[in-house]
Amino acid sequence: MAGKPVRPANAIDQTRRMLSLVTYLRERPGARIEDVARAFGITEDELVSDLDVLPMCGTSFRGGDLLDIDTDGERIWWHNPAALGAEAAEPLRLAADEATALLVAARAVATLPGLREGDRQALLRATAKVEAAAGEAAGASSRLSVTFESEGGVFADVDRAISERRRLWIRYYSPARDEVTEREIDPIRLVSVGHTYVEAWCRRSEARRTFRLDRVAEIRILDEPAAPPEVELRDLSEGLVQPAAEDPEVVVEVGPGGRWVAEYYPHDSADELPDGGLRITLRTPDPASLRRLALRLGRDGRIVSPPDLADSARRAAREALAAYDGVEAEEAREATAPRAERQASDGGYDGPAGTPDGGAAGGPGDRSSGVRYGRQFDGREQGL
Amino acid sequence: MAIAKAERLMNLALCLLGTRRPLSKRELRDSIEAYVEAFGPGNGSAGSDDSFNRMFERDKDDLRELGLVIETVESLDGEIGYHARRDSNRLPPITLDAEEAAALGLAAKVWQQARLAGAASGALQKLRAAGLPEDVDPYEAHGALEPRIPVHEAAFEPLMLACRDRRPVVFDYRKATAAHPEPRHVEPWALECWRGHWYLAGWDRDRGAERVFRLSRITGKVRSRGGRFTAPVPDVVTVRETVASWAGETADRSALIRLRTGAGYPLRAKATAVRELGDGWDELEIPYGHGLDAWLVEFGPDVVVLEPAELRADVVDRLRAVAKG
Repeated sequence: MAGKPVRPANAIDQTRRMLSLVTYLRERPGARIEDVARAFGITEDELVSDLDVLPMCGTSFRGGDLLDIDTDGERIWWHNPAALGAEAAEPLRLAADEATALLVAARAVATLPGLREGDRQALLRATAKVEAAAGEAAGASSRLSVTFESEGGVFADVDRAISERRRLWIRYYSPARDEVTEREIDPIRLVSVGHTYVEAWCRRSEARRTFRLDRVAEIRILDEPAAPPEVELRDLSEGLVQPAAEDPEVVVEVGPGGRWVAEYYPHDSADELPDGGLRITLRTPDPASLRRLALRLGRDGRIVSPPDLADSARRAAREALAAYDGVEAEEAREATAPRAERQASDGGYDGPAGTPDGGAAGGPGDRSSGVRYGRQFDGREQGL
Repeated sequence: MAIAKAERLMNLALCLLGTRRPLSKRELRDSIEAYVEAFGPGNGSAGSDDSFNRMFERDKDDLRELGLVIETVESLDGEIGYHARRDSNRLPPITLDAEEAAALGLAAKVWQQARLAGAASGALQKLRAAGLPEDVDPYEAHGALEPRIPVHEAAFEPLMLACRDRRPVVFDYRKATAAHPEPRHVEPWALECWRGHWYLAGWDRDRGAERVFRLSRITGKVRSRGGRFTAPVPDVVTVRETVASWAGETADRSALIRLRTGAGYPLRAKATAVRELGDGWDELEIPYGHGLDAWLVEFGPDVVVLEPAELRADVVDRLRAVAKG
């Protein structure tokens, strides 16, 4: 399975690990390297590097009672377990950061809508036990929280289809094209990164796709078995979608009010402009899908290139304006005055005011979808 | 070659945990090879004493980060001794079944931030040492589900520590529409991740009020300030409600629009009423909250706002800006 935890090689983590390791090894003479590495969630190389350090450690260097731990490459032997004393090898209490990291993550997963009830209950029981064992160290964990969004019903169906290895039929909304299409997919895995997605093999396009659950308009589990081809699972730590080098380039200039574009769209560069705005260069397989962005930006920004994209946004705006007749356009001009005033007020929060975080806007994903996730929704392959 | 830091920390930890009586700084310095090698025996020059002291303090801080409780005891002759008592460092008994173990295994791998990923693995390893069942491989048990907590913001770690330790901070912050950042003095309460973005709630000292900040708008470094919090910390800090209201999720009015048949699925999904007009258009009633105007403009000529007039004007205004473009 892809995606073991991120494990930087640093002295703190290694020390923490070695302290647990001595407790663990003391109880298991002749433990196999393979098993210990798996139990500790580390590679065998990492474990061997720990085993190189441990014989240099002891309760007192001068006393000569160094830990006599060695390995024949397969099993680990500790020849003087008494060197530590029974007490000194007891499991250590959890640190505040350790309790926080585990509890915040467990609580977040437990609230995932659609999670199997058995899994949720196991998470909640484990959370309660860890809280109790951590004691005071658990206190700071309430200062951090994470919400995963998911469509519970869709999630449950996808989860069931994966475990029963069955094909799914979905009606799926693609923001880039503003259309709903039907397709049959063979689900591979569910990924939650803020929003929840299903990675699947799409039978229609014969390619791997990622679908955001809240854009699934309708779902049915089919009787046919799922038969996704063997695909290597990608490491998702760099984000779900990374534009490809050969994708066409788009240049957008935004004012201060459009700086959010740089937060939502993966880009090659974002250069500061003198007015507090940015000149953003990004790549997308389907520049036409960015017409939505151009329309949304309004006076906060414009597409510099490609020129056809800028033209198509202008044309769309003119066509839309034609539906409002002249009299109402006059009204519109007058009505803009109070709007400016509204924007000027602080409103009490420095949240994402004036940005498209907007749920009214259907969620930030809608904006990001143009590029960040759009490729997937557009049914483009990525990451292979 | 200098002795690796992990070896030095490990020896210091084992000495402090293994001793039955507090050990003086001198004793520790003389019994840990890394210190002997770097600084010589304990009666060296004043300069090497200073650098030893600095290293010793840092090492103790590092061990405390790992959860070690190190006590300081002053002896009768005034010498300071250190030890990590077993009873204050022992993990209380905890028994987890295989399902609970698998659940924690899943939780331990969701962080994509180095410090918390390391801490989560460390927690799991401590629980393993305490007998957490191994029959279920945590990395396979929930193979089909991969939750990930993304952390892209540089301000995250310093703010997490400041929230944990209740330390006031100052940082430069660029409001959504501001051309330039300005310094904000904040007592940080809590961090929350919503839809993949991190937010900070806290007391804004300059404004004398609660504020929510988006971490991606913090420019430059987060710096700690001395002193304590001056405002009471609320029992419950609700970041998400605040952000959601700004995101337009707490609509208190409704709007009437015309939508081309077949277009705008998400608008239909949110609609409280839909009427087919039969001429290629439908009429929809939708919730009207913050940001609706910008969203509607995205649909270009497929949407016409009917009411209220204010929304209609906002949309026309935005369309004009694009048409002029």
